[in-house]
Amino acid sequence: MLKEIKFALYAIKKNIQSSAELRTSFLMNVFGMMINNTAFIILWIYFIKSVGIIGGWTPADIVGLQGFLALSYGIIFSFGNGIRWLPEYVSSGGFDRFMLSPKNLLSRIATSSFNSSAIGDITFGIICLVVYALLIHTSFYQILVLLLLVIFSTIIFLAFSIVVFSTSFFFVDSGSVTSGFFELFITPSLFHGGAFQGAMRFIFTFILPSLLVGTLPVEAIKDMSILKLSVVGLFSFIWMFISIKVFNKAVKKYESSNFMTFGN
Amino acid sequence: MREIRLAKKIIFTLVKDRVQYNGRLIADFLSIFARCGVLLILYWYVFKLNNGLVNGVTYITIAWSMFLYFTFSVLRLRDISKEIMRDIRSGSVEILLSKPVSYFWYKIWWQIGSGIYPFLVIIIFGGIILFSIIGIPETMSLGLFIPTFLVVFAGAAILSLILYSIVGFMAFWIEDINPIFWMVDKMVMILGGSYLPVALFPSFMYKIALYSPFGASQFITHTVYESWKTNWFLLISIQIFWIVILSILAYIVFLKARKKVSVNGG
Repeated sequence: MLKEIKFALYAIKKNIQSSAELRTSFLMNVFGMMINNTAFIILWIYFIKSVGIIGGWTPADIVGLQGFLALSYGIIFSFGNGIRWLPEYVSSGGFDRFMLSPKNLLSRIATSSFNSSAIGDITFGIICLVVYALLIHTSFYQILVLLLLVIFSTIIFLAFSIVVFSTSFFFVDSGSVTSGFFELFITPSLFHGGAFQGAMRFIFTFILPSLLVGTLPVEAIKDMSILKLSVVGLFSFIWMFISIKVFNKAVKKYESSNFMTFGN
Repeated sequence: MREIRLAKKIIFTLVKDRVQYNGRLIADFLSIFARCGVLLILYWYVFKLNNGLVNGVTYITIAWSMFLYFTFSVLRLRDISKEIMRDIRSGSVEILLSKPVSYFWYKIWWQIGSGIYPFLVIIIFGGIILFSIIGIPETMSLGLFIPTFLVVFAGAAILSLILYSIVGFMAFWIEDINPIFWMVDKMVMILGGSYLPVALFPSFMYKIALYSPFGASQFITHTVYESWKTNWFLLISIQIFWIVILSILAYIVFLKARKKVSVNGG
């Protein structure tokens, strides 16, 4: 286990070094992504200004929501960007080289690619969460809860990404299908959390974990809700368990594409 | 004539390709549901809380405005930037530029061809579903609606293609155009009326949306508003103005970009 973690960290280090070589491009990607993410805050703040406070959500909560989401997205798709390449690996036959590797399959795939723009997401996420903590005047206890929730939401994000991209093994045109599923998960998580009520809240919490990544963590901190904290924590373990099961089952469906061909 | 034959050939080939791969259509449906469907349900709740009226606008108008925005995005015209960047990075732009076909037009037809099938399917099915659930706003029942909608739709498509092509041509000078693409794309997203329809904008933002090329590239969302009856001529004029200005700019940038290409052979 320790050896696997050491190898994963080594792969991440090499990926970062390789990306940082193209310094201008790297920095432009980081700052570009931060500006890109700001657009969502602008949009939802104007939404609140136009329609008023809904579900008790203020502009500060929008900042917190975007913070949680950007941070978990950034952590997973910077250091573990290889998960997103799974459809490409499967359809091109590139998955063979991972199967032949003596390392843990999932960690080998995850660390096979690095996305420099996701560093912009991490930076943006941290800034947003600090601003959020200042805006709502968090206590020391709330800061601890916030840190715990960052871990939980990142686990949920990772787990659901594994589930979504593992479906690559089941479809021919897997790139499009997985991107559609992923969109279905991530887009609602970007929306104003207070507007999710009733059946919508149930669906996007217990069937698709979109609200578990940002909305529920924000509400858990704001309301100091042990129930919401427990739900997010519990589901992070459940989803992680499901994702590993789904991944292992999906891998068994893999058939080498063998694009190298024989003799030609 | 040769240009029209080429356009027809590219578009028909790509439509056939898209029809074969149903996975992409499923992806587009899921994507439109995630973005537009969920948003429409949320707005329904918001309007219910506000007794059916926000900023003097009804839910039906807002719903159709957002539906048109998201359906238009299924055309994926913005992807022309990334396609151009891919050609430049891979070096295939050298080959394409040496062909007896205009590279710019080739890319435009390719982009239209790859998005037209899911667009038609979603606008027809989505439109029927939306109509049967909430009905249509008054503006859509006017005789003026269809002809002006078609004009403004064509203008929006042309303007989007030109705007994103300019971003794509930047790849001749810089390694990675993604940061520029994100900025332009988010300006279009905000000013085009995606998650927050234009009717709910504060007045200064509404003016920016009206007079900037980013907002003008999504004027189809304005066609369902009450103001369309009186504003349509102004909006189409603004769109034509930006098409002319940005076409000249794109042409100049493309000419300069061609000079940057070095054919290495191999």
